[in-house]
Amino acid sequence: MSRKLRTRVAIRAGKLASATSRIAGKGEGMVVGGRVMLKLAPDAIADLANGRVAALVSATNGKTSTTRLLANAAEQRGPVVTAATGANMTSGVVTTLAAGPPDAMAILEVDEAYLPMVTAATKPQVILLGNLSRDQLDRMNEVAMTARKWRTMLAANPDVTVVANADDPIVTFAAEQAQHVVWVGGGQVWTADSAVCPECGTLLTRDDVQWHCTGCGRKRPETTWELRWDKGAGTAVSKSGLELDLSALQLPGRFNASNATLAVAVCEQLGFDLAESVKRMCEVTAVSGRYAVVDVGATRLRLLLAKNPAGWTELIDVMPPAPAPVIVSINSNAADGRDPSWLWDVPFERLRGRTVIASGDRRRDLAVRLLHADVDHVVIADPYAPDAPLPEQARALDVIDNAATYTAFHELRTRAQREAQP
Amino acid sequence: MSDSVIRIVSIYPSLLGTYGDGGNVLALSHRARMHGLTTEVAEISPGQAVPRHGDLYVLGGGEDTAQVAAADALRADRGLAQAISNGASLLAICAGYQLIGEEFPDATGTPSPGVGILDIRTDRLPKRAVGELLATPSPNAPAKLTEPLTGYENHAGATHLGPDALPLAQVESGVGNGDVSEGAISGRVVGTYLHGPCLARNPQLADLLLGWVLDRDLEPLVEREVEELRAERLDYVRRSGR
Ligand SMILES: [Zn+2]
Repeated sequence: MSRKLRTRVAIRAGKLASATSRIAGKGEGMVVGGRVMLKLAPDAIADLANGRVAALVSATNGKTSTTRLLANAAEQRGPVVTAATGANMTSGVVTTLAAGPPDAMAILEVDEAYLPMVTAATKPQVILLGNLSRDQLDRMNEVAMTARKWRTMLAANPDVTVVANADDPIVTFAAEQAQHVVWVGGGQVWTADSAVCPECGTLLTRDDVQWHCTGCGRKRPETTWELRWDKGAGTAVSKSGLELDLSALQLPGRFNASNATLAVAVCEQLGFDLAESVKRMCEVTAVSGRYAVVDVGATRLRLLLAKNPAGWTELIDVMPPAPAPVIVSINSNAADGRDPSWLWDVPFERLRGRTVIASGDRRRDLAVRLLHADVDHVVIADPYAPDAPLPEQARALDVIDNAATYTAFHELRTRAQREAQP
Repeated sequence: MSDSVIRIVSIYPSLLGTYGDGGNVLALSHRARMHGLTTEVAEISPGQAVPRHGDLYVLGGGEDTAQVAAADALRADRGLAQAISNGASLLAICAGYQLIGEEFPDATGTPSPGVGILDIRTDRLPKRAVGELLATPSPNAPAKLTEPLTGYENHAGATHLGPDALPLAQVESGVGNGDVSEGAISGRVVGTYLHGPCLARNPQLADLLLGWVLDRDLEPLVEREVEELRAERLDYVRRSGR
């Protein structure tokens, strides 16, 4: 394996920049390091990828978890490089590739907007496309625009195999452009961003499983894999009659079973042993802090990342049933989206029957939303303080679920890590 | 209005509902309930006829292609225009605001015909307007609107008012129509760039719309959560710009 001199110099400079950033207390430093590297060697990604990128994973929701499941499965073949922190833009990808053993297989999470660029540079074997929905509209592309960019990307990369969620019409529209597609029935609970056909604008017709367009004839493609979800447990079922029990997955909810089913389809394409793959996926307990149980102040929390309506729609099912109270932390920093109007698209009505503790910088927006949803709530700036006026039921819980937007989630995670140090 | 039920018609929420616009319908029902009134909400999908006998119509924001599709469908259907000329009220937000005018730019910037309910024309701002929007009701706005209007804007439209439309408000912070005015009002039709959603953050505007349906003014009612949010947003904008 011979890397270009330019790339090697860039890696060294990037690592130095990362370390400096870490010492300065500015987080993991991956983004900074990656930027330095790309500046010094713009083709470093292609040089570092060098035919070893097995899969890229992209989606609005679940890409970090899916990547982790897939990377765990891939370790049956030896060491795997993958980002532990969800660094998924170009700079994060280049740092991840530079960090691991130079010949190790790479499984990478990629931001939706950066996928075309990273695909062109890394030439992956497989691309997994999970779902597309509204997310931080004030800084991201429109959903339909992203799908069109993915189409162009797949037309330009005919050798790649795509594993795509057939239940998301927008993803289907993007993926149908590929030469080789494995369709997976992963489910779609949030349909508001795919109400109309992305091609012709006709309102899509749906029943429990199928969807079709009366305008242009598009319909849900025939699937190779399906998630069967029954009483809180999933099974990945293949057209050829194979059934893989996913009930031992430790990542909770239908959504993660769907992520695992998509990952199984990728494993099949990569020639992995599927039973072994599922076994390894079931060993994943928490992904970059998601679903981790941590102590913050006087409270023991289970951390849930909830950053958009589609994610929320899935997450409510993962919470313990009412009347168990939950904490919801809403911020509106740049990474959360400055505009929390999306709170009105979340079906908070489904939290009725319990008390919601509204926290985060935008707790007052949340309180007004909960008021309109008829959900009992208290507004508390720091619900983790020993003397916080928590409802009695919250104090009685061993662990309370805390759903948080991106920066609120990371504040909690950092605080828990800091407080855990002796 | 008949049988003392306020008939709210939410137009094409599947096309126009990008910024939590469904919240405006929720806020109308919520305020109505506080005033002891009953509402009934009809959600109209593209392809379905727009009912002629609603009391209060609501149009939200949407992406460029959805906006053109919605305008074409509403022009062909004619139900909305007919309801308005029969005296119904209308709240139109962002893309919905633009499309009830005479023309607005499509995804490529080419002028596209609107529904022609409001005497406004929209072209492009030099730079997209994104951020908090704070505006003071203009002197010609209904006297019931006394409190500042607060919300979030995210649009690229410069909207020009013709002689039959009056500005809803004057911009204190943000962009609005692009000429220091914000929104437009004409008879019982209100258009605005405020989302957030608008009526949850501005209950006076919700009460104005409900009052139009009833032909009377509603008692001012205050909710703590809403006042706290308003105070925080107003303070934030006045301190930090947007
Ligand atoms: Zn179609």
